[in-house]
Amino acid sequence: MKDERDELLDELFRKARLMKPETGSVEEHFETRLLAVMEEKRRDQAIWSSWTWRLVPWLAVIVIIVGIGSFTIDPGRSGDLFVTFSNGDDDYQVTSMLVGG
Amino acid sequence: MKVLESETTDERIIADVLAGKEGAFIQLVNRYRRKVFAMSARFARDRDDLDDICQDTFIKVFENLGKFRSDAPFEHWLSRIAIRTCYDALRKRRKEKGNVSLDTIHYQIAAESGEDLLVADEARSLLGMGMAQLNPAERLVITLLELEEKPVREIAQLTGWSETNVKVRAFRARQKLKRILEKHHER
Repeated sequence: MKDERDELLDELFRKARLMKPETGSVEEHFETRLLAVMEEKRRDQAIWSSWTWRLVPWLAVIVIIVGIGSFTIDPGRSGDLFVTFSNGDDDYQVTSMLVGG
Repeated sequence: MKVLESETTDERIIADVLAGKEGAFIQLVNRYRRKVFAMSARFARDRDDLDDICQDTFIKVFENLGKFRSDAPFEHWLSRIAIRTCYDALRKRRKEKGNVSLDTIHYQIAAESGEDLLVADEARSLLGMGMAQLNPAERLVITLLELEEKPVREIAQLTGWSETNVKVRAFRARQKLKRILEKHHER
């Protein structure tokens, strides 16, 4: 149910509705400003895109180096049991644990 | 025979924009500029803010035009983007905690006498003060419902929220506004 404050608020809304925003002056040359902003955005995107393409060869070199490194460098024996089981070294580890190796 | 600009359908213009035809997008902007400005004006802080909101709206339209499906009128799709942009602007402003001022946007007065004009302006200022204290979602809903007199169903479509959600937000906004105005009167 509406109380006195609701009526007051409704009255405020009714009065405020009498005022419609007049945007004509802000709309002047809007297309020109919009096109300028869009052009600037497009230019920024083009710069980013060109930089991304320039970085591609460097990234490819890094990937190749990491790939070669992972194949050539032996990480050595690990104390981690999960790694041991994954590598199939479990027999060796169990024996060395039993004989105190 | 040359087809008049006003006779060209939105779908035709959109197809031209997507085909990369220069000037076609401006045709679309000119057609809907007034509507977007009118929708956004109630949410803008000042003229620059209004200009920014409208620019953002049209940029989003341009960037997403390829996703527009012609199963609904273009105007509805555009309105949803405009409302979403207004909502984003309200949220951003809340984060910035900037001052709220509507002073640089001009208002056209439908009131007849000078007294009505004064009363309407006072009401607008008072409501502006109250609305500045609402959260963005509440402010969006109450503005569309009470100042733009849009039905709940339309607000739900514009915002993407459920009708129940819109009603709840409107109710909360009214409760908050009543408390704010009561405090203001007590002073």
